[in-house]
Amino acid sequence: MIQNLWENILRRKNSESDIFHFLKKSFLFQDLGHQEIEFLSQLVHVRHYQSGEPIFRQGDSGVGMYLLVNGSVDIVMHDPAGEGSNELNGGIFITRLEKGDFFGELSLAEDPSYRSATAVCLTKSTLVGFFKPDLLQVVQRNPSTGNKIILRLAEILGRRLRETTDKVTELYTELEQLKTQAQGKKSEKHFTS
Amino acid sequence: MRNTLRLENLRLLLLLSFVAAFFFLLFFIENLLISLVLAFVVYYILAPVVSWVERKGLGRGTSIFLIYTLNVLVVVLAFYLVIPLMVDQLALLEQELPELQSGFLNLVSRVEAKLQTTFHIGEPLFRDNLRNWMISQTTEYTSLIPKWISDSLTLLFLTPFLAFFMLRDASVFKRALLKVTPNRYFETVIKLLDDMNHQVGSFIRARFAEAMIVGLFTWVGLLVIGFPFAALLALFAALTNLIPYIGPVIGAIPAFIILFVNAEIMFGSLGLNVLALTFVYLVAHIVDAVFIIPIVVAKIVDLHPVTVVLVIILGAQVLGIVGMIISIPVASLLKLVFSSFYRQALR
Repeated sequence: MIQNLWENILRRKNSESDIFHFLKKSFLFQDLGHQEIEFLSQLVHVRHYQSGEPIFRQGDSGVGMYLLVNGSVDIVMHDPAGEGSNELNGGIFITRLEKGDFFGELSLAEDPSYRSATAVCLTKSTLVGFFKPDLLQVVQRNPSTGNKIILRLAEILGRRLRETTDKVTELYTELEQLKTQAQGKKSEKHFTS
Repeated sequence: MRNTLRLENLRLLLLLSFVAAFFFLLFFIENLLISLVLAFVVYYILAPVVSWVERKGLGRGTSIFLIYTLNVLVVVLAFYLVIPLMVDQLALLEQELPELQSGFLNLVSRVEAKLQTTFHIGEPLFRDNLRNWMISQTTEYTSLIPKWISDSLTLLFLTPFLAFFMLRDASVFKRALLKVTPNRYFETVIKLLDDMNHQVGSFIRARFAEAMIVGLFTWVGLLVIGFPFAALLALFAALTNLIPYIGPVIGAIPAFIILFVNAEIMFGSLGLNVLALTFVYLVAHIVDAVFIIPIVVAKIVDLHPVTVVLVIILGAQVLGIVGMIISIPVASLLKLVFSSFYRQALR
């Protein structure tokens, strides 16, 4: 208990310098200078999660994004009508995120924002949270830093949109092919009968 | 998983202990509550200005120092320009107070006599009771002056001191609070703190602007009609305007007392004077009620009018005038907190 308290609340498990270097390497903040990263590291939130602990659940109101410092996180989707499924015992597995990955960035741009999937820690993990109030504070106090972050964020969201569009197109083509095949089989059956 | 739950509960316990300790200190240390309320007012008024200076490329600390220095200059200038005027008016008021007091008592006895002859009601005791009450109040307030001075000095020192650290370390306090927040409530608390910050900030800035505008309109209006003690009465109207609903009425009462007691101090007949004075206070109140409250204040505080009246009464019972002033923002914050956690619990 005491050790847990020490590890999670009192001790700076990830020292400020570790967080500084982690942020500097992150795609979202890679354009920022030394002082800008220092300023940012005063605003972000370092969180520790146990294995199996949910970070957020599908349908929760979302306030911002998380960057995975260490550990791994599963993103799972649930059928809203499906009963009895929760983040621990079911749902459709979407992806597994590892050290350096980030997720939930759509919440920085959306208002209001709701989580489209559940994020659960697979192992003991440390995450850095960067939220909308923090982004607004950066924009208000240091607009040039805010612009750099927003441009990167726009790039990430654009990339995600392109990936989604590609996926939808792919699925649409697949569906059309399946339709044609089904029609072909149907007419073949009709012809033979 | 059991470890996680235990840790989460421990964090929740720590968070609740911090909140409980904060409220305990607030209510049991003399002047801390008022100083903190005033420090919040200073913080929310200065924070956008400090951020604006920071945007010009200066550090946070330097920006705060610059704004504080500028404010000291403004306060000194205000002391230099406004205080002599206030002191003159206070001296004049002190000089005229016995006359005003006896004039007021005469007015009351005239009304009383009129009531007696016309309706044959009332005993001529009211005037004596009122005189005794006024004398006792004057004695009581005179004895309280040393305490008021010491309280004011404490507030004068404590308020800018607290506001300075709020301006400099607001994000540090916020992060410290979030550090002890359990993971399952983390995002809810972040959103809640942001909403609270936005709501309180907008409310304080709106009320401050409202008080300034009401004070300015009253001052100019009283100067135009040549009413005495214009600056003092305008300051009083601006301050009492912070009390919802009855504030504007309380703010106008001293001017009408002065008018009824000393009708000869102004132009024309008494009726014309009453009309002019009513017009001045009405214009200030209409500007406030028609433009400022609907556009600014009502949008910020989402409370039913009945709730507003009830919380004002409750605020007055618990903390007097201060309670009346802070009751609405406190109630709207409580509503925000409960609705956030209620939504979370429903999910």
